[in-house]
Amino acid sequence: MIRRLPLFVAAAAGLGAQNADVAFFETSVRPVLRTQCQACHSERNKASGLSVETREGLLAGGNRGVAAIKPGDPAGSLLIEAVEHAGTLKMPPTGKLKPEQIEVLRKWVAAGAPWPAGEVSRKRAGGDHWAFQAVKRVSPPAPSVAAWAKNAVDHFILARLDQEGLKPSPEADRVTLIRRVSLDLTGLPPTLDEVRQFVEDRSPEAYDKVVTRLLASRHYGERWGRHWLDIARYADSDGYTIDAPRTMWRYRDWVINALNLDMPFDRFVIEQYAGDQLPGASTDQLVATGFHRNTPTNFEGGIDFEQYRVEAVADRVATTGAAFLGLTLGCARCHDHKYDPVSQREYYQIFAYLNQTDEISTEDERYDYLRPTLEVPTTEETARSTAWHAQFQALSGELVRYVRQLKSQGVDAKQDLGLRERMKNLREMRRQQPRITTTLVMRDRSEPRENYIHLGGEFTRKGAAVQPGTLSILASVKPAGATRLDLARWIVDPGNPLTPRVTVNRFWQHYFGKGIVETESDFGAQGSKPTHPELLDYLASEFVRSGWSQKHIHRLIVLSATYRQSSRNREDVEEKDPYNKLLARQSRLRLDAEILRDSALRVAGLLTPTVGGPSVYPPIPEGAMAVTQVKRPWPVANGPDRYRRGLYTFFYRSAAFPSLLVFDAPDATSTCTRRVRSNTPLQALTLLNDQAFVEFAQAMALRLIDEVKTGDGERLDRAFLLALGREPRAAERDRISRFLNTQRDEFKTHPDEAKKLAAQPVAPNGDPATMVVVTAAVPEGRDPVELATWTSVARVIFNLDDFLTRE
Amino acid sequence: MDLEQDLLRFETRRHFFNRCGMGVGKAALASMLAENAMAAPAASANPLAVKPTHFPAKVKSVIYLFMAGAPSQFELFEYKPKLVEYDGKVAPDSLLAGKRFAFMDTFAKEKPKLLGTRRKFARHGKSGQWVSELLPHTAGVVDDLCFVSGVNTDNFNHGPAKCFVNTGSVRFGRPSMGAWATYGIGSESSDLPGYVVLQSGPRGPRGGAALWASGFLPTAYQGVPFRSGGDPILNLSNPDGVTNTTQSRTIEAIRDLNMTKLGETGDPEITTRIAQYEMAYRMQTSGPDLIDFTRESKETMEMYGAEPGKASFANNCLLARRLVQRGVRFVQLYHTDWDHHHDLTDPLDQVCREVDKPVSALIRDLKRNGLLDSTLVIWGGEFGRTPMGEVRDAGKVGRNHHIDAYTIWMAGGGIQGGRVVGGTDELGFNPMERKIHVHDVQATILHMLGLDHTRLTFKFQGRDFRLTDVAGEVIREITG
Repeated sequence: MIRRLPLFVAAAAGLGAQNADVAFFETSVRPVLRTQCQACHSERNKASGLSVETREGLLAGGNRGVAAIKPGDPAGSLLIEAVEHAGTLKMPPTGKLKPEQIEVLRKWVAAGAPWPAGEVSRKRAGGDHWAFQAVKRVSPPAPSVAAWAKNAVDHFILARLDQEGLKPSPEADRVTLIRRVSLDLTGLPPTLDEVRQFVEDRSPEAYDKVVTRLLASRHYGERWGRHWLDIARYADSDGYTIDAPRTMWRYRDWVINALNLDMPFDRFVIEQYAGDQLPGASTDQLVATGFHRNTPTNFEGGIDFEQYRVEAVADRVATTGAAFLGLTLGCARCHDHKYDPVSQREYYQIFAYLNQTDEISTEDERYDYLRPTLEVPTTEETARSTAWHAQFQALSGELVRYVRQLKSQGVDAKQDLGLRERMKNLREMRRQQPRITTTLVMRDRSEPRENYIHLGGEFTRKGAAVQPGTLSILASVKPAGATRLDLARWIVDPGNPLTPRVTVNRFWQHYFGKGIVETESDFGAQGSKPTHPELLDYLASEFVRSGWSQKHIHRLIVLSATYRQSSRNREDVEEKDPYNKLLARQSRLRLDAEILRDSALRVAGLLTPTVGGPSVYPPIPEGAMAVTQVKRPWPVANGPDRYRRGLYTFFYRSAAFPSLLVFDAPDATSTCTRRVRSNTPLQALTLLNDQAFVEFAQAMALRLIDEVKTGDGERLDRAFLLALGREPRAAERDRISRFLNTQRDEFKTHPDEAKKLAAQPVAPNGDPATMVVVTAAVPEGRDPVELATWTSVARVIFNLDDFLTRE
Repeated sequence: MDLEQDLLRFETRRHFFNRCGMGVGKAALASMLAENAMAAPAASANPLAVKPTHFPAKVKSVIYLFMAGAPSQFELFEYKPKLVEYDGKVAPDSLLAGKRFAFMDTFAKEKPKLLGTRRKFARHGKSGQWVSELLPHTAGVVDDLCFVSGVNTDNFNHGPAKCFVNTGSVRFGRPSMGAWATYGIGSESSDLPGYVVLQSGPRGPRGGAALWASGFLPTAYQGVPFRSGGDPILNLSNPDGVTNTTQSRTIEAIRDLNMTKLGETGDPEITTRIAQYEMAYRMQTSGPDLIDFTRESKETMEMYGAEPGKASFANNCLLARRLVQRGVRFVQLYHTDWDHHHDLTDPLDQVCREVDKPVSALIRDLKRNGLLDSTLVIWGGEFGRTPMGEVRDAGKVGRNHHIDAYTIWMAGGGIQGGRVVGGTDELGFNPMERKIHVHDVQATILHMLGLDHTRLTFKFQGRDFRLTDVAGEVIREITG
């Protein structure tokens, strides 16, 4: 938990300043220099020839030919004179420093301007840093265990294992394998038939066929779309304090659809950054630009709108860095990046690309606070709207004719009851104008904003003017032009080594728990180095070579023997590679928040598999919505929407759906490139007691009772088969049978409790697809004791580590 | 992952493999684990296990009474005769220059006038601290309170400013103070969450769950909102038809089956999961006891003004004492409706009545239970209110947001009470001597818990983040 750079301390023991001086310099002096001066006077920018980034720079001075500081003599130091506004040179140009900041500088010069020794040795990662090198495609090394390897991925993995003297693990059993790959590619466990088919299919292509089927499933887009929505910080509300609902599901559906169509990744990025700037942009391409409109927006009373607009742009820059470049660009907002070759100027160059959207920046525009938006009617909305317009036109036409008639008859229109009636109808009709779905999009202002460096990262302090521009360190990529479209093309330029590496690394992370580069959003000097650099480059080059096909890379990874390995822990692996970085086995991963829900829904036979559409309101624990500033409605779905997949649940940023949040779904305030996997008692409470999970268990019980009539043993088998793809092992069967019998006795002696636990939402005609929950009741013709008993069993199964984990 | 966590994890695994061995039969393993299966989880398995402090702590727990909406310091604690004297005069430009206010347009239309308080102030306690007539009960414990006057913050809007006080950043999405504290040193409670949030007032605080979020820290450290009526925690009650017997049998069955899995895979996450289910069960059983006020004496109930089952600030104060008694590390109470732009009369009276008695009761109760020495109590909002009046409705006057100098108080943990640290000028515009920034307050709170705010860091997006960003200094006048 405590990690500081020992850089200065170590150096200070030798030639340099004493510890107290160093501390004073680091906590008081350097922050002033860095935030107040360095935007212009850095080693890179050297405005007027001066750099304050090193002691040498200050001693050398700038173009005036005088030293900026005379150690020990504040009165004779130009720096002090300038910051005190004592002479003609007044610095910073944007306004005098605070008195305490000036005092700090004076004290420091008076003390002899101590500077940590060894400072010069600290250099930013330069052009030679691995991540900035062109992607090199290396031929895969020959495998030492040829029989094990399935494709090139394995050759790289094996070569590294050989070095450590580790053997890979054998392939996982078939049930584990199909469950793993189904969950990874579609986020749903396999059905009974799918498992059976795969287990019985002894052809060499059996697994290949499964992968092909899953990649073609429309649920693939939901699973991988959700990963992308984490990056896009997608939510259904504005965020901040008011957190009003907004409609963005069109963007969510665009993502799902694009992935299902395997839209090439370069186009996927270009449309999201600048779909509106493509020639003849389609509605879909406009919707795609919602990507960077997913930023939270503040509409609280009394705010300075410009401040939050700037904050949103800064978020877009940070997201660009984390999601595509693997660079912590945000670090260069207030000063040059400390470790990576990104200057503050370059930060504001990227900022400039994303700073032209026609979003509001003053109080006067509050009425239009989500601008720019786009109307995207659904088919029904179009039909309803067309019908309405026709009817409205007819009515108003009739009104005009009527007025003319009155006039021609010389009747006083004001007194005419018929006219009054017609006016009333028309007004009523106008009120009923159908609503059209809108979505937030990017659209640039007609009058471009001017762009400046924000001194110290504060938007009120304008520094030098900047133009849109990209990072100079990526010398291999042609510098981009001035539009968002240019930026997008620069991001996915085939010569840009970062984007494909960062993207395939994230794919890898989802399959193995961590990336080849563990710090998936930081490929800079502070990030970790790739464990398998050649494999990373192989995948990156394969990604570009395949025409940026995401499905191609998924296929490559899941077909590898590395992916198919057993996840069973081994003592030798534990000894030599405790974090399983070299992948001598697979990793066990707890399911993502949404996938837990989806799995239980499918196993219980409740899942409504509809893809896309407006976000939905499944049951929510009482009191969960009580934390927001403005009371928000939660109209619980009583029809099929009650059992939709987790990614369709309406997401309020200020009151996130509890069972999602508790299982580490991101809060959508900023880009999320990796979810943590926590393990907490609140998770246990959710799975045990949350109404939603109780309903899943009840449905599972009903299913077991209705589908298996032959006895407890067979029912248990079926329960395990449905939930885990396998039958219970002997020890498990013993244990759960014991539980089953105890519970049956319990409910026999307490029939009232049995009735309560057996009472579930009832579908009048038994078909969940048309179900409307009227009330909770014991389903007709079923024994409440049996239902309650099997509901208890299902609760146990939905809480098993086995069920919660992808093996 | 950082080094310390890594080591811990490594130790867990070592332990597992050494003691269990991969070859040991399942039965042996199961019996080994069964021995202490119902005991408290192993330190390493529990993210909330107590961890060593950086230096000896002055308090074990924190109770943060968050007055959401920003109370007017001028009507409560800041006695400013000069402001009364200059009441109605246009505020001098020199004082307003360079300042940014919320609702700038109101002040732009008409030059704001200074507003002297209409409330009576008197000296109280042995220490003779000034407190207004609005807080008669608080005035009674004034010798235990250390006022921090002239606190300044960075943002003049409620949401971001609340976020700033709680997370050290105006940007939503950073870890909150309680999350940092429990991440740093865990919690002493084995059957309650380490960080609990209680709410009262007419609505939720602006910013909602972001104020007690764990941000980029693991979610195990996020604040858990409790309610004073009904179920204190979401999903704490058994479902209908599930008795405690059924529930404990269910958890036992899950445990036994998970142990089989543990024997098969050797995955330490399963050990943790087993421990978390035990913890969940303990939370279920201790939850009802926690909110059961029937064992509290009538005198105590009256002292707080608490009524069983009612969602009130008074109940929350009593609950806070009970939580701290049970070892919970960080308790935060939000009471909303302090945003008095329009009117400083009845609405202010109302909210003062709601908090005054319970606050003084909390201090007295902690003291007589010997808990005040080990508990830090903080009272304060997200910023203060302007020395100028604000007229929104004809005939009424309120105050706008003021971020340059506001007042909070701290008590407990041996902090010497009955005094003011800091101070403001005669009109209450600016701090008098040195500025006390919100980051300084945060550094001080962590210091009281035995944590060095510059060493409590977490790496995220390439940077070591901390609660106090790159600033903050412990206020030594407070900590002694």
